[in-house]
Amino acid sequence: MRDKRMVLFGFVRGAAAIALALAVGTIFIFLSSDEPFTALKYLLIGPFVSFHGGVTAFNTQNFYQVLAAMIPTIFTGLAVCVMFSANQFNLAAEGCVLVGGFVGALVGIYVNMATGWHAVICVLAATVVCGLIMLIPSILKVKLGASEMVTSLMLNFVLLYIVLHFLNYHFADRSKGATMTYPFLDSAKISSIVPGNSKLTWGFVIALVISFVIWVFMYRTRWGYAIRMIGINESFSLYSGMNVGGTIVLSSVIGGMLSGMGGSLEVLGRYNTFVWRELPGYGWTGVTIAILAKNNPGLVPLAAFFLAYLNKGCQLMSTHSDVPSEMIDIIQAAIFLFFAAEQFLSGYRQKLVVKTTREELMRAESLKATEGE
Amino acid sequence: MEANEFVVRMEKITKIYPNGIAANRDVDFTIRKGEIHALIGENGAGKSTLMKILFGLEQPTDGTIYLNDERVTLSSPLEAISKGIGMVHQHFMLVSSLTVAENIVLGMAPKKGGLFIDYKEAVRLTREYSERYNLFVEPDARVADIAVGMKQKVEILKALVRGAQVLILDEPTAVLTTQETVELFQELKNLKEQGFTIVFISHKLKEIKELTDRITIMRAGRSVGVYDTDSISEQEISRLMVGRDVVLRMDKPESVPGERVLCVEDLHYINEWDKKMLDGISFSVRQGEIVGIAGVEGNGQRELVDILFGLKMPDSGDATIDGQSLIGLPQARIRTLGVSYVPEDRMTFGVAQTANIQENMVSDRYSQKRFNKGPLFNMKSLYDESDKLIMDYAVLCKSRAQEVGMLSGGNIQKVVVAREFSSDPILIIADQPTRGIDVGATELIRNKLVELSRAGAAVLLVSADLNEVMELSDNLIVMYNGQIAGYFDDGQWDDLMMGEYMLGLKRQSDEEIRRACHA
Amino acid sequence: MFGQFFQTIFQADFLFIIIRITAPILFAALAAVISEKAGVANIGLEGMMMITALFGFLFAYWTQSWVVGVLGAMLVGILLGLMMGFFSFKLKTDIILSGIAVNMLGTGGTIFLLYMFTGLRGNTGALVSPNILIPTIDIPLINKIPVLGEILSGHAILTYLAFIFVFILRIFLYRTPLGLKIRAVGENPNAASSVGVSVTRMKYIAIAMSGALAGLGGAFMSMYYSQGWNQGMVAGRGFIALAAQAMGRGEPVGAMFSSLLFGLAQAMKTKVSGLRGMASYNYLIEMIPYVVTIIGLVFYAMSIKRKARRHQLKPIKEKLS
Repeated sequence: MRDKRMVLFGFVRGAAAIALALAVGTIFIFLSSDEPFTALKYLLIGPFVSFHGGVTAFNTQNFYQVLAAMIPTIFTGLAVCVMFSANQFNLAAEGCVLVGGFVGALVGIYVNMATGWHAVICVLAATVVCGLIMLIPSILKVKLGASEMVTSLMLNFVLLYIVLHFLNYHFADRSKGATMTYPFLDSAKISSIVPGNSKLTWGFVIALVISFVIWVFMYRTRWGYAIRMIGINESFSLYSGMNVGGTIVLSSVIGGMLSGMGGSLEVLGRYNTFVWRELPGYGWTGVTIAILAKNNPGLVPLAAFFLAYLNKGCQLMSTHSDVPSEMIDIIQAAIFLFFAAEQFLSGYRQKLVVKTTREELMRAESLKATEGE
Repeated sequence: MEANEFVVRMEKITKIYPNGIAANRDVDFTIRKGEIHALIGENGAGKSTLMKILFGLEQPTDGTIYLNDERVTLSSPLEAISKGIGMVHQHFMLVSSLTVAENIVLGMAPKKGGLFIDYKEAVRLTREYSERYNLFVEPDARVADIAVGMKQKVEILKALVRGAQVLILDEPTAVLTTQETVELFQELKNLKEQGFTIVFISHKLKEIKELTDRITIMRAGRSVGVYDTDSISEQEISRLMVGRDVVLRMDKPESVPGERVLCVEDLHYINEWDKKMLDGISFSVRQGEIVGIAGVEGNGQRELVDILFGLKMPDSGDATIDGQSLIGLPQARIRTLGVSYVPEDRMTFGVAQTANIQENMVSDRYSQKRFNKGPLFNMKSLYDESDKLIMDYAVLCKSRAQEVGMLSGGNIQKVVVAREFSSDPILIIADQPTRGIDVGATELIRNKLVELSRAGAAVLLVSADLNEVMELSDNLIVMYNGQIAGYFDDGQWDDLMMGEYMLGLKRQSDEEIRRACHA
Repeated sequence: MFGQFFQTIFQADFLFIIIRITAPILFAALAAVISEKAGVANIGLEGMMMITALFGFLFAYWTQSWVVGVLGAMLVGILLGLMMGFFSFKLKTDIILSGIAVNMLGTGGTIFLLYMFTGLRGNTGALVSPNILIPTIDIPLINKIPVLGEILSGHAILTYLAFIFVFILRIFLYRTPLGLKIRAVGENPNAASSVGVSVTRMKYIAIAMSGALAGLGGAFMSMYYSQGWNQGMVAGRGFIALAAQAMGRGEPVGAMFSSLLFGLAQAMKTKVSGLRGMASYNYLIEMIPYVVTIIGLVFYAMSIKRKARRHQLKPIKEKLS
């Protein structure tokens, strides 16, 4: 009884957070826009519905684009889930996405192996490199107790500048006006699974498969179990005889691998050359997704979809009305704040608990009464 | 006797905690002006609760408090402080990086120019109080750099500077070396001469006899008497403290001890404040027997258990399981040697609160072959295992998927015990296994302990609950001051006798104690 | 090649640039110091700077007064700090997560707000006029001294203020009752509350002050450094400030020196780009402070660990009494 109510409460709370955030967004739209209803229309249903020529219809291309946008964020969301589950506030997923994309691109350009395996090798190389990178903050944490949050933040910049250095001075295509690499070999590109220019590639399928794999890993294997227990109570895990340090390192390495995989799939699927010149921001989106998914890998695609949908809605809103697409960040921040707030609606929760306890007590008493007869 | 002699009068104090534990029941407690008043009782007798109420940290469920004959309610420490009550906690409330003077004036710093701390004035104030009350401290030293004895003086000065007339000292000598204790007593007597009133919480009868004027003895949440210290003998105090209305005896099959499993040899441990906590402890636990360790808390039991489970490194000595030393081994290795452990602090070490029952029950064995199929868990065997344990240990729950944190204290402990007892241990270390849990769970855990020992496991039971150790143990060790004060293997013990050993009034000969090794 | 390099480095205008580049980092680093002292990790500095930079500029534009702009930026910083405090201390959002939320507001929310208030997209180039920029001042006497005058004189008022604040903050933390209480709360909240110091209140005060200092940093960026607000303007300075705080052991003066190190590296990068032979190392040079920070943290963590171990494995010593 209590548990069912608490689950329900969880849903109500999440929905309330989202509703509140959307309300905040709506207020801002009305404050800033001359055509608030158009803006709202595109924000809320634009990603799925096209309004061309007065005919409303399901918009397949937009829908594909929403799904395509989920590719990198599912991976970072999973990465953050795994690391946060071990109670590691490691924020280096951001830098790893960049490096993953870069390594994937380099292998895609310079390793010539015109077979179907080329793309696989590119992604694997990115995965391995980023896994290794995560050894740095995690080993520093485990062996020396250096805050993984600060080292990972710094690491993001170190990685950014290393990539920029090599991009500019070793691998740049000098024939182009802007700084970019030579184009990838065709064999390295991740191909689309749908017609059109939506960039919905096999990466999406892989992302869904990996979500499932990570869910299985976290809930159905001894390593995932250890990660979760350490995240909940490190002392308890140590006492139970778990290898706490090793497991923390493992969780970070997996986080790095997932980020690297996501970065390379995104770069090889969306572009023809490597064009990123700053941190792409997917790592931070990953944090939001992990929070929305409550660190459950199974819910990550859902959370990623929600954010991608919102993002697309904001983009459409800015194209078709006078509201800038950056509105997304305000809505996202609001959702984030309310979602992560433990005490949000806690008064309501308290009432629920009291009510449930009362009922249980009454039932126990009536039971006693019947026994007494 | 005039009523206004009493600076503090607490009448009919009752305190029932939200979890239903009645820590104080109709306690009357009075302190005369200018006396040193001892408050003594076993762990859990309600002393701390009573003092927390007096210091405004807890609100009484019932009862009234008078300060100098004026009825008061003390809703926060701040209020208690302003009414002249100061408390020196057992764990110091000091900020390490600040100087002594800064700690003393924290929250009431003297100002100059309306804006800045008048640090010189703070130092002067510290010096003034320090000299007036003969409590020597170095005002400019950082608290992190000073010895424990001086930290305690800083705490006392903190209270005095805030105008305390009544000082509560919670087991002040527990952290002090002998030399520091001697010093402290001199200082306290000095304060008394200057008109201060002191409440002294302690377990150490010698100290109480030496220092205090009157004594209030508590047992099981009630006050069992107030005496002039001179008029009561140490034996009498001991009897009042531990005496029981009914002594329950458990019917348990005769123990047939086998080989020695755990051998502890001459363990020494000095804690980070240079206090000797273990001073040459040697004993052994054999197959098929329960060895109980009795003693007032703080006499080295905590350190002993921590060393046996790899949490602390002894300064010297050894402990072996079947001949293999376990000193310095990681917990995982100690467990593979066949040791299981019921921790005292079950919420920190025993369970992961937001994980479910099933997950909590397999935390020591999840990587075993029978629970895994290749890289994956064999969920069925995990479920079967936890369902079986839930049944065997009668864990009251909705299902194995229920969060452990949602269970009652007794059922949480059942989860811990179910896990620890079911790993085929050759040695079980049970540290306060039934503290704070309901009668039903207590009964079950005790029966299981006996059952396991009779099936051949060696059991080391550490408990501050005297009744529990006396009932369950086949052989019994009493610890006092980091040493074994007595070893009993004849089953002929009673609480009065135990009390005398626990409180340091009696000690066996070295030869008698050496029998604990079964060498 | 190195000769030329050193020639560039040891020029007065190079040192001038270092000070200029350091100032906003320093404001943010001091903001990190004050909140960290109260035990509050303010990871939202990056976003705070973006938002306050925008509002500072807007206030200045609306009133055509740079003073109002700076004060407005501080006010918005304080409000952001209090908002973080409300979510973290009241609603129990993890403080790191509320910081990340503020950063989200900083990246995109600012663009939206800029549009909402002005109709402009992306930057405020169109609104800039000299009287809303923070003026520079020549310091009499010092500006007459050769070399030193060139380095120290002619900075913006806020640049001087940044360095003055190092000492103000130091005095505040170590010489005022409030500073004492804040430090006590950060180090041992139980000890503080046992003498009646309100832990939550001190944390609110610290994060509000942190916001005000971040506001000064933001105002400096938009109203002096980049002469108008634009999207990529803060460019990680809020995170750098966290590093500077950590590397400076959480002390104002230490944070100043590590901020100067970051300033040096960024100045070097801009200088070096123009040099033959060295130009291709500009990104690696820019990377140095981050690497140094990680190394600094490692050494710091190691020293703490060594101290702890010494404590645990001390030799047996019999107390002679």
